[in-house]
Amino acid sequence: MNKPAKNWIYRHSYNARICHWITVVSFVYLLYSGIMIFLQFPELYWGKVGFQGYPAIFRLSDWGLSWEEADALGDRRWGRNYHYLFAWVFVFNGIVYLVWNVWQKSFYQKIFPTKEELSVAHLKTEFIRHLSFKATTGKEAERYSVLQKLSYLVVLFVLFPFMIFSGFAQMPAFTAISPELIDLFGGRQTARTLHVICSVALVLFIVIHLVEVMVAGAINQIRSMVTGKYEVPAGISEGS
Amino acid sequence: MKKQEEKRKEITLTRRKLLTRTGALSGILLTGCDTQFYRPPTIRDGLMGVADVLTMASQRLLLSKQQLVQEHTVSEITKDFPVWNQSNPEDEEYQRLRAGDYREWRLPVTGLVNQPVSLSLDELKRIPRRTQTTMHICEQGWSAIAQWTGAPLSSVLEAAGGIKNEARYLVISAYGGWYEGYDMFDVVHPQTILAYGMNGKDLPLGNGAPVRLRVERHCGYKQIKFIKSIQVVSSMEGFGRGTGGLNSDYGFHWYAGA
Repeated sequence: MNKPAKNWIYRHSYNARICHWITVVSFVYLLYSGIMIFLQFPELYWGKVGFQGYPAIFRLSDWGLSWEEADALGDRRWGRNYHYLFAWVFVFNGIVYLVWNVWQKSFYQKIFPTKEELSVAHLKTEFIRHLSFKATTGKEAERYSVLQKLSYLVVLFVLFPFMIFSGFAQMPAFTAISPELIDLFGGRQTARTLHVICSVALVLFIVIHLVEVMVAGAINQIRSMVTGKYEVPAGISEGS
Repeated sequence: MKKQEEKRKEITLTRRKLLTRTGALSGILLTGCDTQFYRPPTIRDGLMGVADVLTMASQRLLLSKQQLVQEHTVSEITKDFPVWNQSNPEDEEYQRLRAGDYREWRLPVTGLVNQPVSLSLDELKRIPRRTQTTMHICEQGWSAIAQWTGAPLSSVLEAAGGIKNEARYLVISAYGGWYEGYDMFDVVHPQTILAYGMNGKDLPLGNGAPVRLRVERHCGYKQIKFIKSIQVVSSMEGFGRGTGGLNSDYGFHWYAGA
C-alpha cells in the first residue's frame, strides 16, 4: 500500500515569520520586565492618583505575597530599562509588519473572516470544535479558522495598540503632550491598571495559542512558522 | 501650505516670547529641532543607548512647543501626599539650618552665569511666583496631586545675570548627597520652579524643605528635594560618574519623561 503523497503548502510569508519571532522575543522581555517593575509596587488603583495607603483595587499582599517579599523579587531599574528597549523593538516591528502587509491582498484574505464564516451557525460549529480539541484537516486546515482570525485581529488591532497607548498614558511627558489621552483612560492610575489587565489578557491569548499549536500538531505548526512550509493534514473526507 | 507656514510662524513667536521673558537665556538656541535636547549627557552602550535616545528625541519633538502640563483643580489635591526617599537629611549643616527655621539658608547660583548670586529664602520669595496644581508621577508607579508655589527657575537664572553661551546643563545639589542635572530645555519651561510652598503652606520637611524642584514632565526622581546649590555647567563630567545625575549614575534613565 502506498502512502498518500504529502500535501505541502506555503503558509507563512517570510515577513510574517520574521515579525512573528521578533514579537515573541520582545513580548517575553516586555512581560518579564513588566513583572519586575510591578513587583516593586504591587498594588493597583483606579482614577488619577494612587499610592501606598490609598484604597487599592488589587493588592498582591492579599494573594499571599507581602509588599517586602514582592519588592525583593522585583528589579525596576533593570525592568524599566528593558521595558523601554523592547517597547521600541515591539513598536518598530509592528510598524514594519503593518506596512509590509497593508499592500498585500493575501493578508486580508488570510486574516479577515468572510461573511459566511461570521454566520452564527458557523461560529457555533467552530466554537464546539475548539472546545473538543479537534484540529481541522484537508482544505479547512489550509486557512485560518474563523475564531483564529478573530482572535488574531483582536490581538493585532485592539490589544497591542491598547498596550502602547495605555503605556503612553502613564508617562509624565504625556501630562504635557496629551493630557486628553490620560483623561481618556480615566486617569493615570486607571491607565496603569488597564495596562496590567490587558497584559493578562495577552498572556491568556498566548496560553490558548500554544494549546492550539499542540492540538494542531506542534512540529508541523512551528516548522511552518520557521520555514513557511506547512503539511496539510489529510482529511477523512479525502478518503486516502 | 500657507497654513502650515503660519503655524510654524506662530510656534517661532511663542518661542521668541519665551526667550524674551527669559531674556537672560537668549544665549541658547531653543528650537524644537535642536538635537542637543535629543540626547542625555552620556549615551549608554549598545541598544540601550539607542532606545534612550529614541525615547528622549521622540518625546522632545512632541514637547517642542514647550506646552504646559495639565493643571488640576484644588479639590483634586491629594491628602497624605507620600514622602519618598530621604525625608530628613542626616547632614549637620542641614539640621543647623532647619533648627534656625532656614533663615540662614542660602542658595548659591554659580558656574556659567554672568553674576553669581546667593539667594536667601526671602529673596527667592520676592521673585514673581508661580503656583501650579500638578500630578507627581513616581517611576515606581504611584501618582499624587499637589499644589506647588515657587520661583520659576528661569527667573532665578535671570537674577544671576543670565547664563553664558557655553552653558548646557544646570546641576542642583541637595543636602544628603543627591545631585541631578537638567538641560536648558527643561530649565526654561515655565512650570519648572523652585518650590518653597506646597498646598498653600511652607514646603513640609518630608517633601524637601525649604526648597525643592518641580520639573513637570518628568518622573519623581528628577524632582530633587532639600536643595543646597545650583551650578550652571557646559558638561556633566566631574559630577559623580558623569552620567548627569545620581539616578543615572545608579542606572536609571537620565531622561525621565517616560
